[in-house]
Amino acid sequence: MKNLSARLLFLFCFLILSRLAVGQEENNGGQISGNLEANANFFMRDSLIGAANTPQYDRQLYGADAWLNLSYSNWGFDFVLRFDLFNNSNLLNPTGSYTDEGIGRWSIHKKIEKLDIAVGYLYDQVGSGIIFRAFEERPLLIDNALLGARLAYEIMPDWQIKAFTGRQKQQFDIYSSVIKGAAVDGFLSGGENANWSLAPGFGAVNRTLDDGAMNSMVATINTYTKDDAFVPKYNTYAFSLYNTLTAGSFAWYVEGAYKTEDNLNDPFGEFNLGDTAVIVGDKLFLAEGSVLYSSLSYANKGLGITLEGKRTENFDFRTRPQEQLNRGLINFLPPMARVNTYRLTARYNAATQTIGELAYQVDVRYNYKRKLGFNINYSNITTLDEELLYRELYTEISYKHKSNWTLLGGLQIQRYNQEVFEFKPEAPIVETLIPYFDFLYKFDRRKAIRFEGQYMKVGKDDKGQLHDYGDWMFGLVEFSIAPNWTFTASDMYNINPGKNSPSDVDTGEKLALHYPRFDVFYTHRSNRFSLSYIKQVEGVVCTGGICRLEPAFSGVKFTVNSTF
Amino acid sequence: MKRLGFLLILLPLLWLGCEEIPPVIDPNMGGNNPDEPTPVEEQERQVIIEEFTGVRCVNCPAGSQAIEDLISIHGQRLVAISIHAGSFAPPYPESLYDFRIPEGTGLLSYLGEPLGYPTAVVNRKLFDGEFDLQLGRQQWAGFIAQELLEAPRVKIDIQRTYEESTRQLDVKVRLYVQETITESDVRLSVALTENDVVDLQLTPASSTPDPAYKHKHVLRDMLSSFDGDPINEPLAADAVIEKNFSMALPEAWKPEKCHIVAFVNLGGTSKEVLQAHQVGVVE
Repeated sequence: MKNLSARLLFLFCFLILSRLAVGQEENNGGQISGNLEANANFFMRDSLIGAANTPQYDRQLYGADAWLNLSYSNWGFDFVLRFDLFNNSNLLNPTGSYTDEGIGRWSIHKKIEKLDIAVGYLYDQVGSGIIFRAFEERPLLIDNALLGARLAYEIMPDWQIKAFTGRQKQQFDIYSSVIKGAAVDGFLSGGENANWSLAPGFGAVNRTLDDGAMNSMVATINTYTKDDAFVPKYNTYAFSLYNTLTAGSFAWYVEGAYKTEDNLNDPFGEFNLGDTAVIVGDKLFLAEGSVLYSSLSYANKGLGITLEGKRTENFDFRTRPQEQLNRGLINFLPPMARVNTYRLTARYNAATQTIGELAYQVDVRYNYKRKLGFNINYSNITTLDEELLYRELYTEISYKHKSNWTLLGGLQIQRYNQEVFEFKPEAPIVETLIPYFDFLYKFDRRKAIRFEGQYMKVGKDDKGQLHDYGDWMFGLVEFSIAPNWTFTASDMYNINPGKNSPSDVDTGEKLALHYPRFDVFYTHRSNRFSLSYIKQVEGVVCTGGICRLEPAFSGVKFTVNSTF
Repeated sequence: MKRLGFLLILLPLLWLGCEEIPPVIDPNMGGNNPDEPTPVEEQERQVIIEEFTGVRCVNCPAGSQAIEDLISIHGQRLVAISIHAGSFAPPYPESLYDFRIPEGTGLLSYLGEPLGYPTAVVNRKLFDGEFDLQLGRQQWAGFIAQELLEAPRVKIDIQRTYEESTRQLDVKVRLYVQETITESDVRLSVALTENDVVDLQLTPASSTPDPAYKHKHVLRDMLSSFDGDPINEPLAADAVIEKNFSMALPEAWKPEKCHIVAFVNLGGTSKEVLQAHQVGVVE
């Protein structure tokens, strides 16, 4: 694998240098572009907030991640090469340390008339990704690129068929299971004057388990009782039919997916130990799966309304059933709650439940003369047995006064099932009430100051204890001098500690701790640098609807982003 | 459009036309493996599973139960050690014991932090298709079965003397080399475990820890260094190597529940365990 990567790097450099050597006139319009993302973390142990007992805090003290992506296009080809670096990185495993480096991605793409050919590490999806999505989420170090080949052919104008086959990437290695699939996507409209169009599609994906994964699973099933044992499947097929109908101000997307019997893992599976004793834990089972997802949106004259609904049953789809958490995902189920950005409104997130979920979401926005804006969002997520998982009401009002200042404020109310999302037994549903504001004042065209304030009030459990970490207060001041500098100072204060807040070692008393943060951002053309001092409480971090529990952080971060 | 319709019908048929031959499932197989320590001359390959756990880990009791299920299948051919280390291991204020020991913390660092718990390392081997030594619960059974198919490169005999009045334990470990071992860094690890230690453990049944929980195979101490004592003698076929260890058992440990675990492991890049064996402190 590494030998192949080294050869490809050599080939890539050779191609580019050989073109540079022969001069501009013979370059045929070849272009090279790229981007760099680099992060360096300096870890400062703080056992009081839980930033301790990992290799980085105990002895390594430093960690870094970097990605350098290069794209070169010439002679009708597109070449992509990416160098990935991880030194004592905590991205892959927040409590572990990962060190490796090498070619993280390469691909070659060529279009020959109606035929489109791509080989290498490919990112792609079918429909909205419910049956297949090869994607990258760097903050969670998810890189599910498919190492394989994809052919696409334009069978008629606006209609394309594609087929792909390959194996899923795992950092600098590759899973053994084979994934293959095909999809037909089209576009129909009523003509130039018509105000409607259709974008239908159909896709199918197959995963064939490798012998190693199957043998491992058979050995596990053989430890089960006869009642729990089942005959696992090598091959699982997933099908999806989808369509977007656009008519005037309306857009309606609908997708229905079905998965044949698959070997699944239930993290809350029950094992009967003979008598009345039952033990709960990871348990393999065999089941068919389905997803029905739809979104209807209306947009006209400052008013925007979106309705979304999703029903999921047994739709965990992985390269092998032994994979856990965010590893080995073949598909992507769209999240059904608002993506919040403020520190406290984003503290509790609803991770997508692949085994069973029934969810809907309503979002209404209205903008009056670009001065006054309203947004109301309501989402409700339950299990298929109607057990509440997550509920959120989010309201927002914004007012823009000429070009001088903007005031934004609102209220968020949440119900969050911590027992399911964070595997905390008998944890009550966390109840939050969060008023917030965001005020931006522009001194002139270059200088501006921004204030943020949020207060989280949580509910109490049966014993009168505040839920989870209790009440929080957050304040932020940001001063920017366009186009180069931004300075930010913020503090998150655990004003009324809850039952999970850190305690004093001697007295056992819950501590009201501060979690300050200071940032400096410098932007020069397409280069952006940031230096931050951070104390961050543990919490669930979500990116693109995929979440994981992140431990507390204490230290200094330095980042560089550059495009060229 | 006709071509399109034909393709839409053809696509699913391409896959559904083929029936696969399923694997053979034999639930709760086994039972023919020894319950008592095997005499060294009859010793087959014996595998060690090192489980990392913690009293605050809600999912770990299910992992411990899975190990008990595997022991009921493989008997003495599977040796288990439960190492309390990592973020879930700090005891509760009401806990009777702090199961964490520096050697356990050292082993977690030596073998690598897991992605989640429960987790275990089987024979400290990086198996084909895996990216870490740490394995999730669904992977243990398969790799244990795979390792048991190998012939032992070395056999282990443990002789012990336990003096009840002084609680002094003397251990003599003999290694019978079956085939010449050419690896340069070969070590002997000797651990002491205690079974059925009753103390608090968080379980899925309640948000308050269970005070009656029986902790299995708790790593109490290492008689060797945590990553093993180097074996400097030549490891040619038919060689016999003897090593002695001793310790005094603390009052809180029940000798009839304690086991001596010895295993031969590699140092360096590969940390693989070649053979493991255990006997009770008291016969």
